Amino acid sequence: MKKSYIVLIVIAVVLVVVIGSLVGSYNGLVSARENVDSEYSNIDVQLKRRTDLIPNLVNTVKGYAAHEESVIEKVTTAREHLINASGASEKAEADAELTSAINALMVIVENYPDLKANTNFINLQDELAGTENRIATARRDYNNAVSTYNKKIKTIPNNIIAGIAGFEKADYFEVKESEKEVPSVDFS
Amino acid sequence: MNIKKIVIFLFIIFSFFKFADVEALVTPTDDFYINDYADILSEDTEQFILEHSVSLANQTKAQIVVVTVKNLEGNSIEEYATDLFRNFGIGDAKENNGLLLLLALEERQFRVEVGYGLEGILPDGLTGRYQDEYIIPYLKNDEWDEGIKNGYSAFYKKICENYDIDAEDVVVVEDEESEMTLIDAGIIFFCIFYGGGLGNYFGNRRKRKKNKKNSTLSLLIIIISSIFNVGLLGYLFLYPVTMWNSADVFILLFIEVFAYSLCYAFTGSSGGNSYFTFYGGSSGGGFSGGSFGGFSGGGGSSGGGGSSRGF
Repeated sequence: MKKSYIVLIVIAVVLVVVIGSLVGSYNGLVSARENVDSEYSNIDVQLKRRTDLIPNLVNTVKGYAAHEESVIEKVTTAREHLINASGASEKAEADAELTSAINALMVIVENYPDLKANTNFINLQDELAGTENRIATARRDYNNAVSTYNKKIKTIPNNIIAGIAGFEKADYFEVKESEKEVPSVDFS
Repeated sequence: MNIKKIVIFLFIIFSFFKFADVEALVTPTDDFYINDYADILSEDTEQFILEHSVSLANQTKAQIVVVTVKNLEGNSIEEYATDLFRNFGIGDAKENNGLLLLLALEERQFRVEVGYGLEGILPDGLTGRYQDEYIIPYLKNDEWDEGIKNGYSAFYKKICENYDIDAEDVVVVEDEESEMTLIDAGIIFFCIFYGGGLGNYFGNRRKRKKNKKNSTLSLLIIIISSIFNVGLLGYLFLYPVTMWNSADVFILLFIEVFAYSLCYAFTGSSGGNSYFTFYGGSSGGGFSGGSFGGFSGGGGSSGGGGSSRGF
């Protein structure tokens, strides 16, 4: 009689420990995924802000350098791509495209001293640079969160729970190696 | 296992827990608000910053921190500033109302990093404009104290304005060579040529013809300097204030000192030298922090807002 009580107690304790750790691991996964999502929305906010700044930039540049159409056009298309992009890696790619388009525009601007000295333009430039830096910061935070989460779903016992409850690997916010384009330089 | 081994073991374990991406970040000093690692600021400037930041933090929990570093150890100033901001925990943890002014000496770069909570009143464009107007012109000439103090004052005023705090005691100089210089020069002119000359003239007259020669000379100096002044003042009014630089002021001072010595040499008396004392002593009373535990960050964070400049 006494012996069976002890066995029961041991079984109960083991069950509590096992269930407790499973619940704990599940909750840990949920909060890690939640963290990834919230960091992702931080990137989204900044990307949105960046796309909002572009029309203003384009209009200011047009006022001084209307005939630089092709460069301005590239910025506008890159903006469209970013607005229509979905998913971390696609957005990262569109963002990189927009960055290179803006950089090309800034090179052109060097030829227009009046534009460079325009206070509105300087202001816009600062806002854009600030937003780019915020995106970089948000991306670092997001990628750190993704790395923590991805490591978590691969370790025991989390991987069992992740398999059952359907926790999937999160994408890093980065341009995939295979999709990186080498910029072509045209000297003609 | 002895204690030494345990310590080394713990050190190795904890070194894996380093979360900051940027290595070799500086750590906050006891003063927290002023961290002059590049050693370029004067005691007065540090005291000024500490005093104002402490009072601002007491009233609003907003924290303004100034950091100067020798170099960025190969990092970009943006990344360095964001990580430093987070490590220090500048601003209140809930309100994130921190502001960081960072100067990198070797890279000759300056950055203003704004916490989330202050982004509304200090948008990136404004932080850039403030740097262009109040800080960079000084830093270009290696005038660290002037640039940092002036820039700090501008941001301090802006933040006080937001919290409805009186910041009348803080003066922001609008441009490197401001109208103050012009007024100063005018007063000095007046004191020397008129004060000195008239003083001598009447002083000598009272001595009844004993020094008739001197008296006549004084009168001559007044007349000559009047002509001189009319010409120079006319020139000053035509010459835009913004185009003034330190060389102009130096030349003017030289002319004045020359004229003054002439006056002295001829008359043997020094009439209007009172302006020297008038301009000499105006350094404010200090505030001594005493020794106590020091200050620390409130746990605020930044998302990378702000702007950077080279100088």
